[in-house]
Amino acid sequence: MEQRWANTSRLTINEKQFIEEALRSEIRVDGRRLYDYRRLTIKFGREDGSSEVQLGETHVMAFVTGQLMQPYRDRPNEGTLAIFTEFSPMADPSFEPGRPGEAAIELGRVIDRGLRESRAVDMESLCVVAGKSVWAIRVDLHIIDNGGNLIDAANIAALAALSTFRRPECSVGGDDNQEIIVHDPEVRDPIPLTIHHFPIAVTFAFFQEGNTLVIDPHYKEEAVSGVRMTVTVNSNGDVCTIQKAGGEGILSGDVMRCLRIASLKASEMTTKIKEAVETYNAEVALKKVKRHPSLIAKKITVPDVEMKEASFQKTKELSADMENSPNQTSTSLTTTKDRDTNASIGRPLNWDPYSSSAPAIVSSSTLPELVGTSKDANEDQMMQTDEEYDPNLKKDQIASATGVSSGIHKQNSPPKSLKDAVKPKHKRKKNAERGAR
Amino acid sequence: MDVDTGNMTQTNLVDKVVVPGDVVLDLTKMENQTIKLGSGLHQDCDYISVMQAGKLRLSKPNKYWVESSQKRYVPRLEDTVLGIVVEHRSDNFLVDIKAPNLAFLPVLAFEGGTRRNIPKFETGTLIYARVVKANGIMNPELSCTDASGKAAEFGQLKNGYMFETSTGLARMLLSSPTCPVLEALGKKISFETAVGLNGRVWVNASSPDDVILVSNAIMRSEFLSGTQQRIMAEKLLERLQKS
Repeated sequence: MEQRWANTSRLTINEKQFIEEALRSEIRVDGRRLYDYRRLTIKFGREDGSSEVQLGETHVMAFVTGQLMQPYRDRPNEGTLAIFTEFSPMADPSFEPGRPGEAAIELGRVIDRGLRESRAVDMESLCVVAGKSVWAIRVDLHIIDNGGNLIDAANIAALAALSTFRRPECSVGGDDNQEIIVHDPEVRDPIPLTIHHFPIAVTFAFFQEGNTLVIDPHYKEEAVSGVRMTVTVNSNGDVCTIQKAGGEGILSGDVMRCLRIASLKASEMTTKIKEAVETYNAEVALKKVKRHPSLIAKKITVPDVEMKEASFQKTKELSADMENSPNQTSTSLTTTKDRDTNASIGRPLNWDPYSSSAPAIVSSSTLPELVGTSKDANEDQMMQTDEEYDPNLKKDQIASATGVSSGIHKQNSPPKSLKDAVKPKHKRKKNAERGAR
Repeated sequence: MDVDTGNMTQTNLVDKVVVPGDVVLDLTKMENQTIKLGSGLHQDCDYISVMQAGKLRLSKPNKYWVESSQKRYVPRLEDTVLGIVVEHRSDNFLVDIKAPNLAFLPVLAFEGGTRRNIPKFETGTLIYARVVKANGIMNPELSCTDASGKAAEFGQLKNGYMFETSTGLARMLLSSPTCPVLEALGKKISFETAVGLNGRVWVNASSPDDVILVSNAIMRSEFLSGTQQRIMAEKLLERLQKS
């Protein structure tokens, strides 16, 4: 028993008194104002549907996966969404492995109510064959570090992961028209989920019998305050959930005040999440487009301009999607084969918006190679095609070697919308070539 | 284990980051010398190798040790630490000092302590104490007196604010000459600090603003050099218009 005592973190009388005294003068211990959030960082992982969120010291990861299953009897044409939480013992000394404690269950329920019961994610589009087969989406939330306010951070992570999740396209076919064919992601683009609105959870902590309230309490503030309330609202002003578990009572006027503050914060947070998701999507789209072999040939003069322009743009951090190894090998294969057939793939070459952004793609393809494996193969090809280009490339490589993710990220913004428009065509074209061979 | 070229009479790894397994000195290549080994180094027959990751330090002519920084504390004799009282047993207070085991603080280990005037420490009291017994396995023992039995600033710390840091930052704050960040802050604000080698720092000043300023400045100064610390402290002071 003593061992367990040695491991829990404690609060001293001094801290308790000090935090309350400071709040009487409306100052918080880390220098924030009462209604300020800590610094938020949203990163995405290698696979679709994985996100990592850091809110100050709190660190949460979310993973979204999907599986075909039988629907519930009373809702035969709707998919299902389930939230699972895992409180890792490395996050906090009081977390134990095994059965989830009260806090874990509460977190899971609040996020579940916010996402599922408010119909944020469209369930009917997840139906494949009514009554027989629907998509069951599963969100796994892993708490890596508990710095306070887990609910907000986990909610953001879940939303970010759901926004970038892609499920394979499936169609009904086969002999009896009852067989479900799940298409390979390489053959047909996977489809994103339809999210109608973003329910944002905002947690409040109350001190001194409800006279002072703060947003986004950190670890010590949570321990000192007796009362905590979480409200989930979206940017339209709809209230999705309110959760107040235990502690002293709050006046109804205070509850209304919290709802008003929360809806302001919700719109800010929604913009932040959407920006991060968009930048990530644009980057993924760029990477997919670079598969087209002819683009590597066409990278002559514009790159300098592209790089400089892009480098002036400032965006959030993203971690680069490292699906490049299969990508690169396929690129190298197709380039060697298609070098002769360049003329047949002439369309993008004559297409102006494309040529101006082609170098950006190529350069972005070199950046991951620095960290990835098949660097040499691609570099050789580049050398063959255009030698003047290389010094520029190399400089950029060296400059961006230290910050791979930010480098890739910088080139996103200019060609974003065009990339998205072009991508599907390229994919099908490429497959047609493959089919022809 | 390969012996690499870094093993001459004077090692070239001084002031560099070393990891466990690095061989620092090769005793076969050195003549009759006395070498003093501090923490983090271990003698393996003829080689001196590193046991703890950190920076290798040399104090001329012959003292070597490895400086490392952790979030948890390994108790050592004669260290001054900041502990939090967890429980009051009949003849000991159980005190948490961020070590693997709880420490015992005898109820009589105070200046003029007798059975009649046992201090009343409730759970959560912050204590500044000295480690008097530290073995690997047993619970460490503390005392609130110095070697001669006087109080000497040990005991309960009242008011103020306590925060946790790594052991490396705590050692830096206690180094002499005075740590640059404390010096820069001390020029404009009057405050008092108690630093525990177990990675706990207590700060007290006249107003909560000052306390928060000082504690945040200290927390940010861990990986900064001397000049950077001074600049950071000055910027913070300016921002809050203390000059």
